[in-house]
Amino acid sequence: MKVLPAVCPSCNSQLNVKSLICERCQTEIQGQYELPSLARLSVDDQGFIIEFIKASGSLKKMAGLLRLSYPTVRNRLDEIIERVKLAEESKKDGKEKKL
Amino acid sequence: MTETAINTKTTDSNLGLWLFNPFRFIAGFKALLLGLAIILISGLIGSFSNTHFDGVLDLHTGAAAPMWFFLVEGLIDWICLAVPLFLFGLIVSRSAFRTIDVLGTQALARWPYLIAALAMLPNANQRVLAYLMSKLIQTAPAAAINPADVLVFGFAMIVVLLMTIWMVALMYRAYAVSCNIKGARAVATFIVGLIAAEAISKFAMFLLVRAFLVSP
Repeated sequence: MKVLPAVCPSCNSQLNVKSLICERCQTEIQGQYELPSLARLSVDDQGFIIEFIKASGSLKKMAGLLRLSYPTVRNRLDEIIERVKLAEESKKDGKEKKL
Repeated sequence: MTETAINTKTTDSNLGLWLFNPFRFIAGFKALLLGLAIILISGLIGSFSNTHFDGVLDLHTGAAAPMWFFLVEGLIDWICLAVPLFLFGLIVSRSAFRTIDVLGTQALARWPYLIAALAMLPNANQRVLAYLMSKLIQTAPAAAINPADVLVFGFAMIVVLLMTIWMVALMYRAYAVSCNIKGARAVATFIVGLIAAEAISKFAMFLLVRAFLVSP
């Protein structure tokens, strides 16, 4: 499956969704939809978060699953948290600029 | 999709990582147990050749002492560095980190000194050091040395030097990983912590020697 791009390859700005399509009846909706913060993360980060949720939010379980040490997994989560915060801030800034 | 995505980024385990950043894979209680075992074994091996770990970064051949003395030296070295780095972590780190990770990774970071203790085992080292000491204080040499002794001693010195550099690199990685600190802040606080630890450990060694000399 293709990877959803979150950043513009030309100017590096955040991309929005222009159209959505129903797989069954092909109904297409067009508009301007913002990507949610989690969707703006890299595929690796999204994968980490999904596994983290599946591990009931336990860093210990995640460390065992990934065969990494606890602090390594915690540091990775901290990095993702920082990126989510940045994504939310840039979203907020964008909205304020529009107003 | 998700598992492959995570694996490509997080399980690139290779020899280089295991040698210079094993804390990516091991930390906490496991690292603490393994590290303490290594510290005690290093002390035990050191006691056979009167090799003292008399400071966080020190390794010297010296006077004979009971085995417990060598074991305690290693433990003092470990705790003298772990505590200041833990305190720096509390001040500098933006993450919530675990005490056990700092203690465990710092204990395991001392493992190159096990190799250094082994390198100091041959009697040739003691003979050369006794010879050098007699030259320094201008007394008659205690024992004769031969070229093979000098060769063994030279090899041991190179090993000790390399192991010290490696150990410092591991100590830094242990600090950076366990406290989640990066860049200039990590380097600066580590250097200050290491210098403070060296001074504290020297003072602790002085107290240990005094306690040993006073004890009946």
